[in-house]
Amino acid sequence: MEEVPIIEMKGIVKVYPDGTKALKGVDFSVKKGEIHGLLGENGAGKTTLMKILSGMLHPTGGKIFVNGKEVRFKSPADALANGIGMVHQHFTLVDVFDGLHNIILGMEGHGLFSKIDVEKAKEKLQKLMDELNFQVPLDVPVEKLPVGVQQRIEILKTLYRDVDVLILDEPTAVLTPIEVKELFEVLRKLKSQGKTIIFISHKLREVMEITDRVTVLRKGELIGTVNTRETTPKELAKMMVGREVVLKIEKPPKEAGKPVLEVKDLWVKGDRGEDAVKGLTFEVRAGEIFGIAGVEGNGQTELIEAISGLRKVEKGKVILNGKDITGRPPRELYDLGMAHIPEDRIHMGLVIEMSVAENSILGLHWRKAFRGPLGLIRWDKVKEHAAKLVRDFEVSVPSIEAPAKSLSGGNQQKLIVAREVSKEPEFIIASQPTRGVDVASTEYIRNYLIKLRNENKAVLLVSADLDEVLQLSDRMAIIYEGKFVGIVKPEEVTEEQIGLMMGGIKNES
Amino acid sequence: MIEAVISILIGALTAMVPLVLTSVGATVSERAGVVNIGYEGIILMSAFFGAIFAEITGNPWIGLIGGAFVGMLLGMLHGFITVYLKGDHVIPGIGVNLLALGVVAFGITAYWGTAGQHQVPTNVRVAPIINTPYGSLSPMVLITIAIAILTHWVLFRTPLGLRIRAVGENPEAADALGINVERYRFLATVYGAMLAGLGGAFMSVDWLGTVTKQLSAGRGFIALANMVFSGWNPLRALLGGFIFGFFDNLSVWVRTNPEIQRIVPWQFVATLPYLVTLIIVAGIIGKVRPPKADGKPYKRE
Ligand SMILES: Nc1ncnc2c1ncn2[C@@H]1O[C@H](COP(=O)(O)OP(=O)(O)OP(=O)(O)O)[C@@H](O)[C@H]1O
Ligand SMILES: [Mg+2]
Repeated sequence: MEEVPIIEMKGIVKVYPDGTKALKGVDFSVKKGEIHGLLGENGAGKTTLMKILSGMLHPTGGKIFVNGKEVRFKSPADALANGIGMVHQHFTLVDVFDGLHNIILGMEGHGLFSKIDVEKAKEKLQKLMDELNFQVPLDVPVEKLPVGVQQRIEILKTLYRDVDVLILDEPTAVLTPIEVKELFEVLRKLKSQGKTIIFISHKLREVMEITDRVTVLRKGELIGTVNTRETTPKELAKMMVGREVVLKIEKPPKEAGKPVLEVKDLWVKGDRGEDAVKGLTFEVRAGEIFGIAGVEGNGQTELIEAISGLRKVEKGKVILNGKDITGRPPRELYDLGMAHIPEDRIHMGLVIEMSVAENSILGLHWRKAFRGPLGLIRWDKVKEHAAKLVRDFEVSVPSIEAPAKSLSGGNQQKLIVAREVSKEPEFIIASQPTRGVDVASTEYIRNYLIKLRNENKAVLLVSADLDEVLQLSDRMAIIYEGKFVGIVKPEEVTEEQIGLMMGGIKNES
Repeated sequence: MIEAVISILIGALTAMVPLVLTSVGATVSERAGVVNIGYEGIILMSAFFGAIFAEITGNPWIGLIGGAFVGMLLGMLHGFITVYLKGDHVIPGIGVNLLALGVVAFGITAYWGTAGQHQVPTNVRVAPIINTPYGSLSPMVLITIAIAILTHWVLFRTPLGLRIRAVGENPEAADALGINVERYRFLATVYGAMLAGLGGAFMSVDWLGTVTKQLSAGRGFIALANMVFSGWNPLRALLGGFIFGFFDNLSVWVRTNPEIQRIVPWQFVATLPYLVTLIIVAGIIGKVRPPKADGKPYKRE
């Protein structure tokens, strides 16, 4: 007799209030104790399906069974009561609370009016963290923590609720290879404890490594479920896209030109007043991609914010095209030909409540091209511009009037990249440019960055994805605790060497 | 001199009651993410109905409770519109303020048959607990201080407070953890309006002992300003309310004191309550950030 699946979703249909048909009758079933991968291009409906399973959204049609019993979730509380918890693609943390209070929220212990026993909660959490070998600081407001750590807090939050089924929506998008490895250790441990895990990722390598079975969605429809052992990345890619995909990055050799960005002995402080960037000196030249690799939280964020005028420079200089821009406001930098794809798309990249069209001209809105008489914005031009971006970058949007928040995560990212490159910059900062973007679009964005380089632009790439840095950079620096451990050419080092350098170990070979 | 100081202090403690109650209530409401600018109207209506309840029952405490109850009802209306119907947060408040003006102006004449003003008889006014030759102190002063401290404690130390702050900062995060966003927002809104109602009834059946249609005199709005200056913190709102009350009384004292008026014009002193409250309260705390989801309806999709 066949075992009853722990989760069974049948004929799930979801139509959003604006009429977008995100799911068109999807069947999805998960066996107890397995790690089940969920794959699909940006906008395929992965997040929507999982939000339905976690009670966040109501399905328009279809049935859900848990352990063979039909359930109807009115809210996440019902899903949690059935042992289903989800870690969302876009974090759901209360920024001003510390890790501890974020985690215990809703499960603070007995009595709404009794004093929260912080010490006891801390003890309980410490035990959970030790058991999983998964440590986070508990008493720092989460907005002050790097995304990688926020991610762990999200995971701990769900585990603290003792769920049987853990849904992880693109958990690795914000993690470095080392962090991914640590996460996978945790997932394996959870699996050995009998937990069931649903794992969403765009990285086929990860899916091949960690999952037992994989389900693929395409444009709201189920394509199929396969055993991981019996498939290949190539086959999965084909299932996702619907045709053979040739993933190739073309990078012809190129001589770099004159320096476009020069950073000289730069010192920058972090949010807690500590020195985050400690005397960095480097240059990015025309026709060059300069990559920065490193574990998140080693000063990358502060460095980028200082260069782009968002954070105070304590000491040192930033020079763009020979002009000292240290401490100048961002607007002036944009006018001088800088563009910036920020690492945090929700908070820095988009105004999430505003429409795609409005978002498409952020930072461009004062340009003559979009201004009519009296300086009013010419919406016809704006819409034209937005339509072009959406077309060129294949951003899948309900309409260009739809709010940015109704886009799937990967499509939001594509929109930002499209907007920033449309500024025709001389110098572009690309911070995690392909975070959460599907395979095909990742290649498109990477090729686009190379195209900019070939057109003699200067590119500063910061990415937690080591493959990306290795693949794109002409030169790369490895950052550790605010200093460069070394500047190397990717072809001259092995991944092991880089791994060591990312841990702060300089190797002399 | 000493008697002047004591009388100003007593005056300050009394005048702070409706301000502090409303500020503390508004703080809880906004911490949960619900803006309400209808406190002016709530104070006025509760003052009116509180007086009626007190006179019918002959018991000023029933008047106070009745005023709080009227506040609760108006809070439920506001909560229903903003939290459950996901309506705008500002419009209903304007509505309540206008409604109150009409109801009270008409009500005074209709119920008591007097034009514009009604004097609440002394026997249905709250008796002071401390009497001095320079003024007397109402038990409501102590109750107000207790409410501010207790609310502060609940807001920052208990699960209830944690949830209230969570739904005002990031309702989605709270929702994902199974917290009923609507319920907590609604409760916080009702609590806020209830405190304002208590403050309103205090004005008619205790402090001033009259009902007029100008009775609230902007206190609902001053309380909101005080809430902002004090960074959505009940204890600081208590301090802010006291400072305001102090300088308010000081300016009244100056106005009745020709010798001092020769040195400083009373018009200048009359601006002091606003100025000093702003400087002291805003000065101590520096930069404040409102709750992130304050005034934003929460919809899942
Ligand atoms: N709130 C919303 N309102 C309207 N449409 C929405 C909303 N949220 C998502 N959609 C649409 O539903 C479809 C599926 O989105 P979903 O977020 O589930 O995709 P996804 O597979 O998770 O993609 P990604 O890999 O980019 O995260 C997309 O076309 C998206 O534009
Ligand atoms: Mg998604």
